[in-house]
Amino acid sequence: MFDITLLWEVRGLILQGFWNTLWICFTGCLLALSLGLVLAALRLANPRLFSYPVACYVELCRGTPLLILLFLLYYGGPSIGLTLSASVAGVVGLGFYGAGYFAEIYRGGFKSIPKGQLEAARMLGISRWHALTRIQIPQMARLIVPPGTNQLIILVKESALISIISVDDLTKNATTIVNQTFQVIEPYLAVALLYWLMIELIARGGYALEKRLANRQPRPAAQQGATPHVHG
Amino acid sequence: MSMADTLSSSSPARQKSIVEAHGISKQFGDLEVLTNIDFSLAPSEVVCVIGPSGSGKSTLLRCLAFLEPYDHGSVYIDGQLLGFEDRSGKRVRTSEKRVDEVRAPVGMVFQHFHLWPHRTALENVTEALRLVNGLSRREADTEGMAMLEQVGLADRAGHFPESLSGGQKQRVAIARALAMKPRVMFFDEPTSALDPELVGEVLDVMKKLAADGMTMVIVTHEMGFAAKVADRVIFMDQGRVVESGPPATLFRQPKSERLQQFLNTWRERHID
Repeated sequence: MFDITLLWEVRGLILQGFWNTLWICFTGCLLALSLGLVLAALRLANPRLFSYPVACYVELCRGTPLLILLFLLYYGGPSIGLTLSASVAGVVGLGFYGAGYFAEIYRGGFKSIPKGQLEAARMLGISRWHALTRIQIPQMARLIVPPGTNQLIILVKESALISIISVDDLTKNATTIVNQTFQVIEPYLAVALLYWLMIELIARGGYALEKRLANRQPRPAAQQGATPHVHG
Repeated sequence: MSMADTLSSSSPARQKSIVEAHGISKQFGDLEVLTNIDFSLAPSEVVCVIGPSGSGKSTLLRCLAFLEPYDHGSVYIDGQLLGFEDRSGKRVRTSEKRVDEVRAPVGMVFQHFHLWPHRTALENVTEALRLVNGLSRREADTEGMAMLEQVGLADRAGHFPESLSGGQKQRVAIARALAMKPRVMFFDEPTSALDPELVGEVLDVMKKLAADGMTMVIVTHEMGFAAKVADRVIFMDQGRVVESGPPATLFRQPKSERLQQFLNTWRERHID
């Protein structure tokens, strides 16, 4: 029998776990998004110098389980002088692991812009920075939003693994409740619902961003004013 | 020519030519695509570069614009060495900023237009005016509209490239380059990607530019256009300049067997 009153009794533990999952995921994803962009930009800016090291990093991320990376950071860290709290190890683990995937997503986006468009910009004297921000990023943004959203969702789901290195996240707190009450269904269902809510939020955010970016892209000429207003 | 002469960053003697190249060579891997090319371009001169596919015409133009760094030799724009400088007797690449400065008098139009698809025709023209020349949106729009007017596309200002025909796209690309007030225009096969029916509108714009005294280098397969508009035609084959001269001489009395062969093939295909 599903006992909803149990959830009310353990709400404190669930909410605490939810908050921890929220901030660790948010910070980890932010780190993954930023570090991924830096890695992709380095690889494109100086392929000769950075292509191989960045490719190695990406392959390392793709070729090893997140859990092993978390174990190395949290349990192996102190032996090389790196002592991190469980939460920080979780953030760093998620961030570094996700960065490998995001670097590839960004790289795909950058590569999708024909080289000739950048040559045209160079011939007009447009700087690399302006070419990046005004020509490359606006065009690649629309392309990378769907795979980027997917990757964020995967990271949030994989964040459940941080419970194994003793972070009091949603999953660990739910397990604690199960161990205390011997009720399995209610805590895990509640946790599943909260994960689903977070992921639904990310998915809807992704769709909204996709739509917003699509609206800024070319539309059929018939839908536009043929000639814009010109001042002066 | 001495090494020092080759590398000197500027030379008053070269001021007569807007663009000048000495002994430029370029290799892609083991393939030598340009071999020891000399080139000069006087103000208001129109030079057409012709030749079979793979002869190095486009690579020559790209080396003159430093979109492809040349391996040997030197290119001068307005007397300034492009792309390299002499540091303690060693030839080293200059910064991109310096390349931009030296190359500023040159505008370029590409075979595949390379318009930015997320910008309207007007925005394509005004982008550099705002980012490079620092014009306000209002000033840039006024200037951009004047450029589009010049290529007969003022009524397409608000259209995105995907809704323009190939000929219109190329005319926007010409307007975009002209907006920066270049003293020389490089055209890299500007009509090769166009339907035959759309070639005329682009050539008309180019003829008008030539008539207005614009200095131009045009890599083209349009022999009729070259014959009418060019002051000088250069015929290239296998990375070398085989023959060059006024179009009347070059087309009617080709000296080299290779050019005769090339022209015969062209006539067989186009005059039936």
